[in-house]
Amino acid sequence: MIDFLSHYIYYIGAFGLIFIGIFIILVKHNLIKVIIGISILDTGVNLFLISVGYISDGTAPIFSSPDMKAENMVDPVPQALVLTAIVIGVAVLALALSLAIKLYKHYGTLNLRKIKEMKW
Amino acid sequence: MVNPVLLIAVPLGLAFALPLFGFISKRIEKFIPVLGMSFNLVISLLLIPKAMENPIIVSIGGGKPPFYINLVAGPVGILFSLIIAVVGLLVSIYSLSYIKKGATEKYHMLYLFLLVGATGVVLTGDIFNLFVFWEILCISSYALVAYTGEKSGVESAMKYLIQGAIGSSLLLIGIGMLYGLFGTLNMADIAQNIDSVSSISIFVPLVFIITGLGVEAAVFPLNAWLPDAHSAAPSSISAILSGLAIEVGVYAIARVVFTIFGAESFFLFLCFLGLLTLLIGEMSAFSQNNLKRMLAYSSIGQIGLIVFALGIATSYGVAGGLFQIISHSLSKALLFLSVGYIIYRTSSMDISSFEGIGKKMPITSLAFTIGAFSLIGFPPFVGFPSKFLIVQAALAKGEILFVVFIAFILIGTVIEAAYFFRVVQAIYFKKEKNNSEKKEAPIAAIIPMFILALLIIGIGVYPKLVTDILDSAASEFLKRADFIRGILG
Amino acid sequence: MKILISIILLCVIALGTGLVLEMIPFGEPKTKIGEYYIDNGVEKTGAVNIVTAVVLDYRGFDTLGEITVLFIAAVGLGSVLFSSKKSDKDKKQEPASLILSTGCRFLFPLILLLGAYIFVHGHLSPGGGFQGGAVIASAFVLVYLGCPGIRVNKTGTKIVESLGGLIFITMGLLGLLFGGYFLLNFLPKGIAHTLLSAGIIPIIYVAIGFKVGSELAGIIDNLIGRP
Repeated sequence: MIDFLSHYIYYIGAFGLIFIGIFIILVKHNLIKVIIGISILDTGVNLFLISVGYISDGTAPIFSSPDMKAENMVDPVPQALVLTAIVIGVAVLALALSLAIKLYKHYGTLNLRKIKEMKW
Repeated sequence: MVNPVLLIAVPLGLAFALPLFGFISKRIEKFIPVLGMSFNLVISLLLIPKAMENPIIVSIGGGKPPFYINLVAGPVGILFSLIIAVVGLLVSIYSLSYIKKGATEKYHMLYLFLLVGATGVVLTGDIFNLFVFWEILCISSYALVAYTGEKSGVESAMKYLIQGAIGSSLLLIGIGMLYGLFGTLNMADIAQNIDSVSSISIFVPLVFIITGLGVEAAVFPLNAWLPDAHSAAPSSISAILSGLAIEVGVYAIARVVFTIFGAESFFLFLCFLGLLTLLIGEMSAFSQNNLKRMLAYSSIGQIGLIVFALGIATSYGVAGGLFQIISHSLSKALLFLSVGYIIYRTSSMDISSFEGIGKKMPITSLAFTIGAFSLIGFPPFVGFPSKFLIVQAALAKGEILFVVFIAFILIGTVIEAAYFFRVVQAIYFKKEKNNSEKKEAPIAAIIPMFILALLIIGIGVYPKLVTDILDSAASEFLKRADFIRGILG
Repeated sequence: MKILISIILLCVIALGTGLVLEMIPFGEPKTKIGEYYIDNGVEKTGAVNIVTAVVLDYRGFDTLGEITVLFIAAVGLGSVLFSSKKSDKDKKQEPASLILSTGCRFLFPLILLLGAYIFVHGHLSPGGGFQGGAVIASAFVLVYLGCPGIRVNKTGTKIVESLGGLIFITMGLLGLLFGGYFLLNFLPKGIAHTLLSAGIIPIIYVAIGFKVGSELAGIIDNLIGRP
């Protein structure tokens, strides 16, 4: 049991964060809480991507001294992908916060149940 | 031979340099998107003859795929970048006089970024690069929907953003799973090794990726954002979103299903999904009184028809789907452009306020009528050969199930005709409520509407102009092995 | 009823995901392009930090897209929060405590120096343009909090952002001109482990560092309230 857990703890943690993020977005009414849910969802996805690239007993892929061996280095590609994904997540978050400021100016409340001017 | 990278790099450079141009003179800022899109139009036309024989493969950074990113400018890619360049150019001419208030410099920058993102999605050959350009497309459209700053715009942009963010995260999870299974990110490389893992572990990433792409492509359960966003945006942006952004979404789904996964058993599901989307879109459009909302639901219906045609997966079917994409982009852009000035002059979006406008704005009303008839599918316009090709493809399949499907498509077309005729009747045959003088739209709006109408009638009367490139594009989607061999050698 | 359907859907998705994750064991090497990059990265690109080599040389197109996304966010934020009338009353900000207002004057140049160190050494040690840019932006946030009334020059940030993006595209087009491929690393690679090595990578990272720093500072400025 502990063996199974130690092998998959990163995957379980990542998908747990993803599930919590989606749950917050779908269920909560306060706009700021929904935006925090988007941020938690992005964090979970980035954690999943990084943990795909781990190799046991590996170190960072930087040849800091001239005699480092290339055998036990982790995969550099997911780290580059997550670099891009974090920046994209920050961009979406900034835009979401500016829209929230503008919504507060128009409606005076941040409750999603009351911001429903668009009807069927 | 021109390098297809210029289709992405030059408009991107112009968009970055736009504030610097603004320091020289404020008046030339609005001409920069026109310049960028004319450049794209010229380069796409130059690349057509070469792209139809063999897809042009260029590598970014000077090495061989799969270790470097590569662009694939085949018949499909060049066809889509041509559509993007034409519609983008015409709508940017329209925006010269339509966009006057607000931060206009930022509008033009965001507009150019949206088109660059769309061109990048259709030209790339690497799946993470697709994700990055997809995000460029989505984030600029979130910002542009909220451009006017009114209540409805900001609220629709917020709802669009939340659903789009969930979609992008699901797409990224699917890409992560694909990297873990195959160890590479190049589309042709994944396609080559797709049979080496069991089919259940292929099914899960496929579902994640299709759900993620489906939010932007507006297929049935995921399109709750579309009516709000397309009706609250300024009309030039509604034309671009309905005419380009959702079609690029359907392209991405087609690329993933046909080329990467080659999933034969998935095609029937696509047909069902398309038909369901078509019926729900058309029936919801019928009960609307707000004109832009009606056009938005009609877009959902047309996307359903396109997905159905792609799901038939024969050469006629895919060519019919791509032809329907051309027809829908041109017609829907014409509809939104003409509606833009009608709403501006009458200051209301209700159909009942359009009565009698046929006499006050004759050219604009004629443009609306041409767009409406083309979307329904009447003969001299481009909607007719495209719908005819789809029906022909479904009949050629030979099964009784597809004959039932054709019946549903015809029912959808009849509903479409009903609600468009209601609007055309209000424009031409009802008396206007208040007498005001005749005031037409400005010249910068009439030129793009005229050119779009010309293209609609021209391609409708003489479809041979596009059938060659449509056939090459259909065979690029269907012949996977040639595609893989062309890239990896 | 809705809760029941969502629980069933959740179980199905969890089961499917678990089956896929069985195929991606944690800790096993499963990449084929990663090994190629580690083996040939140093001599092909000259950068000792393999992640930097992947980000800027092998997958440079993704980085171009990434700086575009950040630029779109800054411009979109400016356009959403745009208001044509001047704010009628200047919001009075509480003066900061003595420690903060003394410390911020002292720490500001040091934090800028740290940020510049991070992005200049991007190809030699962990770091790079985005990380250095974020540190520089945090220096500006410290100044906004500690010394009220001081703001960044708007025209300056606009020029720096545009120039940063233009330098990246110009480097790519120069590679197209000199070598036939966009974003080809055409400058000499130099000796590994020294500061002036790795071709065009340090130049692009310096441009990205300045650009990201001024963009994030501009975003914070817009959110605080000056139009």
